[in-house]
Amino acid sequence: MRVAFDWFALTPVLAPALGALLVLTIDAVVPKARMAHLGAALVALGAGAAVAGYGATRSEPLRSLCLEAPDGACLYTADPMAGILQLCALAAAAVVLLMLIGDTWRARAGAAGTRDALRGGPAVTAALVLAATAGATAVVAAQDLGAWLVGLELATLPMIALVALAGRREAVHGALTLLVTSVLSFSLLALGVALWVIATGSSTFATSGLRDAWGVPEQRLVLVTAVLVLLAGLGFKLSLVPFHAWTPTTYAGAALPVTLTLATVSKIAALGALITVVRALASVVQPPTATAVVTAIAGVALVSILLGNLIALRQVDPVRLLAWSAVGQAGWVILPLTALTAAGTDAAAGYLAAYVIATTVAFVVVHLVHGPVDAGAPARARELSHTAGLARNHLVLGSLLILALLSLAGLPPGVIGLIAKIAALQPVVTAGLWPVAVVAVVGAVLGVAVYLRWVTILLGAGRSGGPLQRMPGSRLALLLGGTALVVTSVLPALVFR
Amino acid sequence: MIVVAAVVLPIAVGLGLALAGRSLSRTTAWALALPAALVTLALTGAAVVTDSGVDREWVGMIGLHLALGVDGISAPLLVLTASIGVLVVVLARSHLPEGGSPSLYLGAVLLATGGALATFAARDAILFFVAFELVLIPVWLLIHRFGDPHNEAARKDAGLRFILFTVSGSVLMLIGILTLVGAAGTSQLDELVEAGAGLPVGTQTLIAALLVLGLAVKVPVFPLHTWLPAAHATAPTGGSVILAAILLKMGTYGLVRLPMASVPDGFARIAPLLAVLAVVGIIWAGLVCLVEVDAKRLIAYSSVAHMGFVVLGLASGTVVGLQAALIGNIAHGIISALLFVVIGGLKDRWGAVRFDRPLPALREHAPRLGFVLILGLAATLGLPGLAGFWGELLGIYGAWTSDLGPGLLLKLCAALAAVGAVLAAAYALRVGRLLWVGEADTPVAAVERTETVGAERLVLAVLVVAVVAIGLVPHLVWSVTLADATALLQGTVIGR
Repeated sequence: MRVAFDWFALTPVLAPALGALLVLTIDAVVPKARMAHLGAALVALGAGAAVAGYGATRSEPLRSLCLEAPDGACLYTADPMAGILQLCALAAAAVVLLMLIGDTWRARAGAAGTRDALRGGPAVTAALVLAATAGATAVVAAQDLGAWLVGLELATLPMIALVALAGRREAVHGALTLLVTSVLSFSLLALGVALWVIATGSSTFATSGLRDAWGVPEQRLVLVTAVLVLLAGLGFKLSLVPFHAWTPTTYAGAALPVTLTLATVSKIAALGALITVVRALASVVQPPTATAVVTAIAGVALVSILLGNLIALRQVDPVRLLAWSAVGQAGWVILPLTALTAAGTDAAAGYLAAYVIATTVAFVVVHLVHGPVDAGAPARARELSHTAGLARNHLVLGSLLILALLSLAGLPPGVIGLIAKIAALQPVVTAGLWPVAVVAVVGAVLGVAVYLRWVTILLGAGRSGGPLQRMPGSRLALLLGGTALVVTSVLPALVFR
Repeated sequence: MIVVAAVVLPIAVGLGLALAGRSLSRTTAWALALPAALVTLALTGAAVVTDSGVDREWVGMIGLHLALGVDGISAPLLVLTASIGVLVVVLARSHLPEGGSPSLYLGAVLLATGGALATFAARDAILFFVAFELVLIPVWLLIHRFGDPHNEAARKDAGLRFILFTVSGSVLMLIGILTLVGAAGTSQLDELVEAGAGLPVGTQTLIAALLVLGLAVKVPVFPLHTWLPAAHATAPTGGSVILAAILLKMGTYGLVRLPMASVPDGFARIAPLLAVLAVVGIIWAGLVCLVEVDAKRLIAYSSVAHMGFVVLGLASGTVVGLQAALIGNIAHGIISALLFVVIGGLKDRWGAVRFDRPLPALREHAPRLGFVLILGLAATLGLPGLAGFWGELLGIYGAWTSDLGPGLLLKLCAALAAVGAVLAAAYALRVGRLLWVGEADTPVAAVERTETVGAERLVLAVLVVAVVAIGLVPHLVWSVTLADATALLQGTVIGR
């Protein structure tokens, strides 16, 4: 069997993967070149992002690894929405590396007392982040079960190490929780993949085998079971209720830039995987016939939205608030998938992209306000009250955080968040799923209460007036994230084309 | 393109002012805001005269078009909104609420004005929703930051209540809009008129129910009005004026534009229920006004009653009723703005205006202000020759002649609404007696600075002229709205 390679199309995956190798090589040759690591990693991410961005502007998907006719399937297919997700993952990884390595780039020049946020040095940090990113960009475009599963695990495993490397008790606890969750999730995914192969007789997400399987009642039962098991496995990674329990522990325990990676790169990998499954299913079935799948997605989505926002309402640690709000937002992300249509999967991808942009800005601002924590040092207490009065004392930080929170709440001037909410509800309503949309209204109102509570604190009087620490990397990261948030709020069509 | 400029200018300047924060002095901020508001008014006027319009795709995935335009139904509201924007900015010259920087206050005022202009000018159902939401945060800021400085808890509670109520309503409306757009296959308001009317009656009823329920929160229709008195009682004078004169109109305008125009058969089924709720609101709010002791809450409840007349006119499904609703909208905007400027100004000076303690007699201490108050109260009770008369009289007439609903239901509604008008006379005279006639022996310190000052005088003068002008020459509004109002009801079940 011959496989046609298009190396150019594979750049979003290959560039970060090769970048990880390059960073490790540099570390072996010139051990202390901090800037070289950061530079090499950023160049790799930039190259990947350029091709992903190009793929997002085309009308046709970028394809590679195409099999010969008669099958003719391409095992790597990145349609425009996948391109946008890849772009978001690569950009988020760049932001994370700027925060992790860029802040302490003067360490070698002898600035006293500056140490890294993670143990193991910048090369290990960069290599792990790049590897996780390569996994995420791969899974978004993977069309065969093997690459899909490998990409998903590649996106997960480095994260466990990154969480643990903060070297604190809370971090190790968080890493352990994530490890147990990942093992559980992997076993479910492996089971789901096996069931899929049994049902369809094919190791790809191609339509032909799927359509035959759907036609036979016995096979259909196995296929539906496969989808439900896969949904459960991915539910862990997306932090959906009832698979969310690891989220607050791990989010709060990890170094803050690593938490940001979990909230962006990992989520993109998980949603990309889910979209591939749902799109394959949607190409052969219409909603009335797949009641079990629709019910499961809708149930999980609504419970996540309601519970996540309800608990977020009571949090005092901003990271825990963002963690619980991530649970609620994950529910919104998969809500449009209930329609089982291509429009629904596009809306889910768009919603996630909007969430990633807004949440990145929120995390970077929280990081800048609280300052970096060295690896192994005891964690400092974080409270919402530490950001009190931020809008008065640090206008740029305060305004960007307010814009990000309003985006997450779906209120203008955070237009991108509002458009995302409309896009998420549209396929659900068009598919005629009434109860789902009406329950989501309650969730939307709860979400507004969650984020406005923080906005109130930001606008109020308070003592957040202290000078910011010198964090050049994080400032650059904020510039990147803030620009993306403002530009997409004016031109939402960049994401929702 | 003129209409785009009229919408974008206040939003852009407002954002700039809000972000500038304390770096701008009070005078600089005002000197930036006033020209922006004036140019916006001029641009709005030009857009109405030249019938300016634009239609461009904005967000492909959800079919959102940046479609703005003007027609007979939106034109009076556009002019009202832009004028109120100017008046509130002018008023800020002498009456600037505490709680934040002056430029943030003026920025929020301009943003709210721009968002409301976008709502009235939107020619795309989804854009209408986006613009509808645009107004929320600025008005929340006005209540939350610049509201009653004496009571922080009440301010926060009122702000949160306002935003949660209105968000619940608007998301329900969004689901209605998305259903309508999905079923009709277009989001252009002009095309929806035809495409929506062709839908099955069951679908139409469902869509109309969602839209009416969502918009009823904003109007507000009884029993969804509970956010309004709290918001009015704590908002600064400028915020109250914007709430009453602009925000509530977005609700009634939405009722005309979406359920009434797009799903007429569905709306006709719901209209009787809406009429009953409107009348309950008129009576209920009238009774509350007879005993309410806080002056701003009293005006807020009287707003509920007046909006009840507007909704009753709409629910009658007659051209007369619709015309009554459209002029009632404008009249209530001007009258409530006038009363809030008077009462809000008194509250600023006296700390509170409560009817459970003796008040200085305005007729003696501030004859000019007293005259304006009496004029406003007279307009509120629907005295002929003033703006409030036409909306109430014709709203009742419209309901009486309507053939909607089972049996004599709407005739009964009309009769009860007439009783509500009597209640309005009773509570207007109550306020007049307590505030204008007043009590003789009150501390002199409280009344020394009672007479109108500075910019307040100009604002009140403009509003008084408008109240009298619309009362004497209602054709100022009707001649603009008649053609489109008739067209809107033609060919539908309720128009026949």
